[in-house]
Amino acid sequence: MKKIWLILIISFHQITYAQDILSVQLKNSHINRPLSAVLNEISEENDAKIFFLNDWVKNLTFKNDQIGNAFGAALDQVFVGTDLTFLIMYSNTLVIIKDPTQALLRRSTLEQAKKEGQKVTAIKLGEENQINSGKKVIISGTVVDWNTNEPLPFATIQANDTLASIAADQQGKFTIELNQGLYFLRFNYLGYQEKIIDLEASSDGTIKVEMEKQLTELEEIVVEGTQSKDLAVASIGKSVINMRELKRVPAFLGEADMVKQIQVQAGVTTVGEAATGFNVRGGSVDQNLILLDGLPIFNSSHVFGFLTSINPDAVSDVTFYKGGISAKYGGRASSVLDIKSKDGNYDQWKVKAGIGMVTSNIMANGPIDNGKTSLAASFRSTYSNWLVRSIRTNYADLSNSSVFFYDGLVKLTHLYSDKTKLSVTGYSSQDSFSISGDSTFQWSNFQASAKLDHQFSATLGSEFTLGQSIYQYKVLNEDVRTASELAFKISTTTANADFHYEKDEHKLNFGLQISYYQFEPGKFKPISDESNAASIALDQQYSLENALYFTDEWTINERFFVEAGLRIPTFFSFGEATINVYAENSPRQLSDVTGTIDFKKGEIIKSYVNLEPRLSARWMLNSSSSFKLGYNRIFQYLHLVTNTAAATPQDIWQPSGYYFKPQRSDQISIGYSKEFQEKKYGITTESFYKVIKNTLDFKDGASLILNQNLETELLQGNGLSYGFETSVFKNEGRLTGNVNYTYSRAFRQIESEIVGRSINSGKRYSANFDQPHIVNLSWKYNVSTRHFFTGTFTYHTGRPVTIPLSAFNVENQTVAYFSGRNSYRIPDYHRLDLALVIEGNHKKTNKIKGTWVISVYNVYGRKNPYSIFFKNSGLGVPIPYQLSIIGTAFPSISYNLEF
Amino acid sequence: MSWLLVLTLTLACVERIEFDIPPARAQIVVEGTITNEPGPYTVRVSEGISLDASSPESTPIEGLKIDLYDTEGAFEALTETAPGTYQTGGFIQGEVGKSYYIRIETPDGKIYESTPDTIEPVGEVSNITYEYEARTVEGLLEDLPADVFNVYADGNAGPKDQNFFRLRFTGTYEVLTFPELNETRPPTYTPYKTPYPCSGYVVVGYNEDGSIAAGGRLLQVDECTCCVCWAEQYEPAPQLADNQLLLNNEYRNIKVGEVPINNATFYKKYLVELEQMSMSRTSFEYYKLIKLQKENASSLFQSTFGEIIGNIKGVNTEEPIIGLFWATAIAKKHIFIDKSEVPYPLTPIEVKPFRCYDSYPNASTIKPEAWQ
Repeated sequence: MKKIWLILIISFHQITYAQDILSVQLKNSHINRPLSAVLNEISEENDAKIFFLNDWVKNLTFKNDQIGNAFGAALDQVFVGTDLTFLIMYSNTLVIIKDPTQALLRRSTLEQAKKEGQKVTAIKLGEENQINSGKKVIISGTVVDWNTNEPLPFATIQANDTLASIAADQQGKFTIELNQGLYFLRFNYLGYQEKIIDLEASSDGTIKVEMEKQLTELEEIVVEGTQSKDLAVASIGKSVINMRELKRVPAFLGEADMVKQIQVQAGVTTVGEAATGFNVRGGSVDQNLILLDGLPIFNSSHVFGFLTSINPDAVSDVTFYKGGISAKYGGRASSVLDIKSKDGNYDQWKVKAGIGMVTSNIMANGPIDNGKTSLAASFRSTYSNWLVRSIRTNYADLSNSSVFFYDGLVKLTHLYSDKTKLSVTGYSSQDSFSISGDSTFQWSNFQASAKLDHQFSATLGSEFTLGQSIYQYKVLNEDVRTASELAFKISTTTANADFHYEKDEHKLNFGLQISYYQFEPGKFKPISDESNAASIALDQQYSLENALYFTDEWTINERFFVEAGLRIPTFFSFGEATINVYAENSPRQLSDVTGTIDFKKGEIIKSYVNLEPRLSARWMLNSSSSFKLGYNRIFQYLHLVTNTAAATPQDIWQPSGYYFKPQRSDQISIGYSKEFQEKKYGITTESFYKVIKNTLDFKDGASLILNQNLETELLQGNGLSYGFETSVFKNEGRLTGNVNYTYSRAFRQIESEIVGRSINSGKRYSANFDQPHIVNLSWKYNVSTRHFFTGTFTYHTGRPVTIPLSAFNVENQTVAYFSGRNSYRIPDYHRLDLALVIEGNHKKTNKIKGTWVISVYNVYGRKNPYSIFFKNSGLGVPIPYQLSIIGTAFPSISYNLEF
Repeated sequence: MSWLLVLTLTLACVERIEFDIPPARAQIVVEGTITNEPGPYTVRVSEGISLDASSPESTPIEGLKIDLYDTEGAFEALTETAPGTYQTGGFIQGEVGKSYYIRIETPDGKIYESTPDTIEPVGEVSNITYEYEARTVEGLLEDLPADVFNVYADGNAGPKDQNFFRLRFTGTYEVLTFPELNETRPPTYTPYKTPYPCSGYVVVGYNEDGSIAAGGRLLQVDECTCCVCWAEQYEPAPQLADNQLLLNNEYRNIKVGEVPINNATFYKKYLVELEQMSMSRTSFEYYKLIKLQKENASSLFQSTFGEIIGNIKGVNTEEPIIGLFWATAIAKKHIFIDKSEVPYPLTPIEVKPFRCYDSYPNASTIKPEAWQ
């Protein structure tokens, strides 16, 4: 802290009654005498308290021309040219203070806020007679949404502008320690109006801060989804997506999307234009933990990744972690995307509807029992079939093609008291599409969960979650002779108990998380009488993943903050199962099987117990800059196995077990953040180094679907990634935005002395998503308070691929000679998107609020490859082709309505 | 995903993607075998073929010094009998249980060696059977018949516990063409009879000026040497077998090939020759990758293929070389499938007025040994 606010108290008078001391008129007797004597006199005469230090006022006197002036005005005149000022407490107490910036600032801020019609809430804690020299008070509280009473996690709190701001925790709770005195506290949360509290703090106390959604446009809202205004205090590797701004970003087909927003963050890449999932800091797609209200989502995409399967309107907040991951999360090696659904409004019904080119959605929420029970329901679906069928084409098959998806979320919340809340959530999403009537791909997510929030005491709170989620996919083949269905399913039962406890500078989180998984890794059956398809059912797999965790968020002082934690995951894979035993030192193929081991139902096949230390630390160099450090070790027990370039719904999740060891990732990251000009600009940089053990990759030409013995096709080895990320933000003014650049590399090495157990001859190779250079640029230009031009530009190095280099003859066949694994790259990817957002009138009195978003995707029509695939040449050898899905500029328009 | 499809049709485009790759001709490709049968054993060395080439013809690499070694120290220099084709002279005879390798030296002193490959013992093919299957393929207007005989084999894998082997299928059928009926249509568009000389026919009856008359008459003056030939059909991908397919080292009813049924393949009868070829693990893995590549259909979500690495490596050079020199013991069996096995009458063979070996793929006028 640059400036220390000191209040020194030198004299004290007991007074019995009070009056407005500032309006006392100066008398002759007050003129040309030492100010200290005059002050003492006035305080005695008026039953008031005046605090001051003799030294400060020893050369000051009231002048002749001030006779008859009010005491307050006269003091102001006398203090001109000094660094003194005064302030009034409890109407009868006057405090003269030195280095008055804070007091002046407070006064002017409050005045300014009132002038601008901002709400200032006055809160008084304790009584004036509790004031003691130098005594500290502890203010704790919760920041909530005024409407829904939902906590606002990570809201920022700033006292008197000059103290470093702090962030509330995930439950919206905060604690600050202050000297007794007068403060104004600023509360900020993205998408909400700033809240100012005029605080008189004489004793410890608890406050509840209710914040209102921003209904009128403020200039300084950022386009970027991160907490770009609070860079310095944000934890390493963590960002929060601003759901409001999401809607203003230019989006493909006008559909706002959370995962698309994640994909433009520094350190995040994606392998294709519309590939499912994303890659974080050299991690594969399966290394991202996606949680919806605490339950895992295995496939978060609609139509192969064009959209996320959760309607953004149903979401209250999204937090993304890529480094320094808290011990509360585990089971995926690279990142966490924690999505929380919205509670319904407890006071009035609200409806929000959006109409886009391919989807429409509706969200309704409101009270069932006023102030106690609320319901939120959202539904989104597509109607693009007509679009397909209305297209005139020579492709006869197009009329058979179809696409369909929906997602819906219903949440019922009941407040038993201000300490106990029960929420019940149901979520479902489904996708189905077929190309030219051949095969139909279907996948779906289903979730049901109940969550009980209970506050045992002011310091101890808890959350209990119980839920069931099911992810499944099917591939239907409708050809008469081979009509068949291929099905895959994972059921997860989750039971979590999470506690948080606060004491002094410590915030403790601890708990137990239990997940039971049931896998149906593949079922194939004929679906018509004439079908010749075989019936195959792979054995089910069962596993149990538990974790105990403990984490301490320790604010050591205003400069140091440390979150240290430990997570102890255990994993059991159990029968019934029959496991092949392979000859030692063999390539582990079916021809190497020497016998089998049978496990009875419930018998443990393999168990793992591990320790995961976690650390996230922050050192504030001053109120606007900080150094950060993060370390995490994470074990991952479920692996997505794929041998196609982009993840598809046909990929298989394989639990750790007899042959597959858990993946282990160790990541260390360091960062530096600085804000400039009162947070007008900010820069943040992070570097990371990550080592992954037992990462999985497939052998050349592996066949994975309906393979009972995946250990014959997959190998485990090491992964290494490292990189440097930097982002620059401009947060205020007509033009706001940010640019980020990432340099990172991601490698794999799978090497063994045993023939047939190496990939790429054991040499290190680039991972699929190794894209060294990534640049993302996004901006918003406010034409007026209701009109914005927004835009994004994305560039990344083309991803690595394995391609044919030449052909050669073997006996009478011509075959292609392929390069080493991933040793070539497809062309670089770049794209510019622009949007014009026209928002309806911002007046709060307007019942209906509408927003138009007109956007153009891929403005200059770059033909970026979506996928690379091979077609046989005249020689009968595969030749690489690229499919660019959106090879031209693509305009779209959408309309959102809220009432 | 129809809107993906819509986009595919309206916006999307599929185009050839070009990479900056080394010229295919810089690649040396080696293909060679030693068997337990009498030699000569052949090693072919050629340049890689560009992916854009229209024919699979490769450019032979001439003037190499190639030696064949066994691991007991014997060696024999191969002689270049045709451009890029190097053969042994009979000094080394492949024997089961022995290991062999080759050493290649280029005129500029680069040396390559194969890792030794052992001739593993081979079992035998005991039985070849076949079964008629009615099939259709999608035609432009309607489905077209594409019936086949599926060919299966029984046999045993040999004396070893772990076995890798190939079942190499070669089909041969006799065909007939009519080169004497060849005609030429000069710009007046009146056909002139221009029988191929090998047909044994000449045209009699000329115009007064000595040119060939449109209405000339054919006269046989010699035997036709290009009317009858034998066309070979090769397997589309190598058929491989390992212990998975064995029970007590025996295999039963392994499908080894398909014989298409049409008026050419069954003009007379069809010869199925099956060679059971023992393999080492190295050569098995090599052929497995070839098989995977040949069998994998292209799709958007197809799996990634890998580098086909053989067993030849540079000794004093890093220059790229691919290919395999492998050792095998061979057991053969053949059967004929007679025209009468086709359950319906076939139309007579198409009248092709060309030389036989120009009209059918892989055809030659040399009668196969097994043909009776």
